[in-house]
Amino acid sequence: MESPEVRRWPAPLAGRLPPEAGPEQVAALVATLWLQIDQALHPIIGHRGVAALYHRGVTLSAADHPWLLVGHPGLLPVIDPAALRATLVQRTADEAAAGGSALFQTFLALLTSLVGPSLTDRLLLPVWAHPSAVSPAQDSSS
Amino acid sequence: MTTKVSINRLATGVPGLDEVLGGGLPEFSFNLIAGQPGCGKTTLAHQIMFALATPERPAIYFTVLGEPPLKMLRYQQQFDYFDAEAINHSVRFISLSEDALAGDLERVLQRIVAEVTEHNPALVFVDSFRSVVFASDTGASPHNSLQMFVQQLGMLMTSWQATTFLLGEYFNETDANPVFTVADGLIWLRQSVQRNSMVRKVEIMKMRGQATLPGLHTFRISSAGIRVFAPTSTVPATTSAALATRALMGVPMLDDMLGGGLPRGYSLLVAGPSGSGKTILAASFLAEGARNGETGVIAAFEQHPNRVRNPVLAALVAAGKVGLIDNHEPDLSIDEVVMLILAEVQRLQATRVVLDSLSGFELALAPTFRADFRESLLGLVSALARSGVTVLMTSELEDRYTDLRFSPYGAAFLTDAIIVQRYIELESRLLRVMAVVKVRASAHSDALRLYSINDNGIQIGALLPNQEGLLGGRPTRSRRNDSNGDGAP
Repeated sequence: MESPEVRRWPAPLAGRLPPEAGPEQVAALVATLWLQIDQALHPIIGHRGVAALYHRGVTLSAADHPWLLVGHPGLLPVIDPAALRATLVQRTADEAAAGGSALFQTFLALLTSLVGPSLTDRLLLPVWAHPSAVSPAQDSSS
Repeated sequence: MTTKVSINRLATGVPGLDEVLGGGLPEFSFNLIAGQPGCGKTTLAHQIMFALATPERPAIYFTVLGEPPLKMLRYQQQFDYFDAEAINHSVRFISLSEDALAGDLERVLQRIVAEVTEHNPALVFVDSFRSVVFASDTGASPHNSLQMFVQQLGMLMTSWQATTFLLGEYFNETDANPVFTVADGLIWLRQSVQRNSMVRKVEIMKMRGQATLPGLHTFRISSAGIRVFAPTSTVPATTSAALATRALMGVPMLDDMLGGGLPRGYSLLVAGPSGSGKTILAASFLAEGARNGETGVIAAFEQHPNRVRNPVLAALVAAGKVGLIDNHEPDLSIDEVVMLILAEVQRLQATRVVLDSLSGFELALAPTFRADFRESLLGLVSALARSGVTVLMTSELEDRYTDLRFSPYGAAFLTDAIIVQRYIELESRLLRVMAVVKVRASAHSDALRLYSINDNGIQIGALLPNQEGLLGGRPTRSRRNDSNGDGAP
């Protein structure tokens, strides 16, 4: 009999969640990361600039994960991670991780297409450089 | 001991701009960069910012309304000066668009104060300050709002010891805008469109505390950023070789006619009709230099770019003994040509320069510069003379047998020496004659000699002592029938 596989979370959630994390933990981490992304980008491109990119990202990611549009309020002056979190907790942990990760990747690809990989890395450095800032809080159920 | 305050001048990192500014940008100055959309304001600001910003001297770039920051970052990173590593380190971009959209100028100002207080920048950019005012909902006239905003910002930034740049558009410089009074420096960028050529120009309309170079100065935007072509008068003088030493022309009898060659540091005009051998003489001049271990530069303005058709010249260029400049940009200016030539002279340590020809040169210039060609030519000759090189210029001379002229541009007085070439008709043959018209402060021959051109170049021949009226094109037999030319070597 095969031993059960250790669940591997997709980037950028990998390393930030325990293997047994549930949808609540996944949703909380994703929402926290979006807050950090907004914090890193809004001084430079404005809240509306971040929100416009986010809205485009949700729209594109919904092609593979249509449920992302459920509860998505559309284009707002500022992103609403709480609404995304509420959507994610309705899914299984794997679905929430896959959809949340796809949204991150789409957003990154969008930003990269506009300002290039070097500047994208530079701008989002504060978000990816401090995984510990978000991961411990997600471990409470373990 | 002096009690005067010493103003530190910052090197802008924009080639040529510091010369035009009169030595750089005064530290803690409050500057406006103004001009029409697309004239290069944002590019100039970014280039200065990336050049000056360091971790010890950080910069903040406030974007207000207008070009979205994402687009600005997208396009600005195409330039060589853009350093992504500096972002959020020595350079910080901050969007004020939401504060501006709220329509409260006081809020915009307070936000600037808060960011400046937090990050303590030495350099502050606001792009664009005019949109700040348009976003205002105070009901006051835009002029008053603008002046109040700029006045407060200027006071704040000067107290904060920050060198500040406000970028703005659409201003009419004839408008007595009070903002101009507040600013220490006013850098105006323009675009001059004529026919299918567009030339960019910068003017330092004001820079407190230092003498700037007045007038319009051309600049170009390339992938390297902005390059300003400072006027030729800024070329520093170098000690030229003693006049006693001569540059040989590579045509033995011609060197004799010149009194032993062309004095070093002189400019020589070779004027003659089409096909008279001006370029061949120029090639001989450069080849003779190469034979003696000298290098040269030729600015060729022929009809065929990137192709030198004279085989001697082509070989010299291929061997790296002569640098070739054949710029055919539609917005070419004389100042840029001077810069290109001097850069090549410096690169090759060249001692000889050829301009072939003035006629092609005039046509190569952007239309806007052609009206001032004669003055610009004077600047060119002066700049090359100051650099210490020996110059040969060719000039197409339409054969007019009733009118003895050496250049259609009245350029003869600009040069130190003149050689004229003419066609004459003699015994049903079209022959060529050459004379040295002038060599400043030096004895020279006054002989008018026949010459021919063969595979070995120019061959100076005999005098025509029995003929007179040679320059009229149709000589007649001399009645005096002298046997010797006067003063001919």
